[in-house]
Amino acid sequence: MSVILPLLFLFTALSGTAVVLVRDPTRQVFAIAINGLVLTILFDALQAPDVALSELAVGSAAVPLLFLVALMAVRTQAPGEDS
Amino acid sequence: MSPRIRIALLALSGLILLPCAASVIAGLPAFGATIAQYGERINAITPEARHVANMVSAINFDLRGLDTLGEEFMLLAAITGTVVLLRGRRGEGNTERAMRRPGRAVIPRSEATVLACRIAGPLTCLFGLYVVLHATVTPGGGFQGGVILASGTLLIYLGEGYSGWRDAIHSHWLDALEGGGALLFALCGLAPMLVGAAFMQNILPLGTFRDLFSGGLMLVENVGVALAVTGGFTQLFLEFMEETREAEEPDEPGEESA
Repeated sequence: MSVILPLLFLFTALSGTAVVLVRDPTRQVFAIAINGLVLTILFDALQAPDVALSELAVGSAAVPLLFLVALMAVRTQAPGEDS
Repeated sequence: MSPRIRIALLALSGLILLPCAASVIAGLPAFGATIAQYGERINAITPEARHVANMVSAINFDLRGLDTLGEEFMLLAAITGTVVLLRGRRGEGNTERAMRRPGRAVIPRSEATVLACRIAGPLTCLFGLYVVLHATVTPGGGFQGGVILASGTLLIYLGEGYSGWRDAIHSHWLDALEGGGALLFALCGLAPMLVGAAFMQNILPLGTFRDLFSGGLMLVENVGVALAVTGGFTQLFLEFMEETREAEEPDEPGEESA
């Protein structure tokens, strides 16, 4: 347990930084989803399964899916030349 | 307000607030320290008093149920506000069927995507129902289950395309789901008063500890929250989609549109 928590904090910091550093919106959505997944594991490791479930459903499924679909809907150019 | 005054204001408020924040942070208990006196009290009394195994649900829907009622209406207000903003330009009349913007490329989806979504969508909805109904037994509850249910409908969208999705999901139903869920929660608070109990007092039979039917009124409140969250999230998604496809001419029914 003593190894897992610092490792998870490290992953949280790394994935959170990655969300900021990734500039392409489509990739950024996946970075957000990964950050949500890491946070889910962190909350579970800190014995908060209810919060983990909320984070999993909202942070790594619903919100990225909404973003992804909105990006897909506003993309007007022909396929193949996206981003 | 000029930028200079703004920066001065920021510096001033930082000067006042940062020491306060630092002293509060310094006074926090150490990481991992057991401070949960309230939690231990809850753990001790809730199984006998409410026959509920999931303490978080017991707090959310019974002991501090009024807070959750307020949060429920916050969600309702937020989603209503978003929908009003998005519909502002379109007006009240929402389309019954999928519209599409002329000139946008239709990106066909692969059969693997369709198959994966057809399998995963219903399974996700089933899991969402499980999480909603087992709120008093296992981690989760109305909010989490509702979001999982809404994700299930979004998976159906990814598999079937927008026109197929709109054939199955109607905007008015989502309005009814969202408002009806919040109404059900409010009625759960008011109904006990009809028999002379306090607001939101748990008057239903409490059921068996660790059974699906435990917690009495909490299960009904959970279902209300789940309905409101499912309807709300799906409505939000639908309005975002409608915003990006403002076209007067409806497309052919059944046509694939990405």
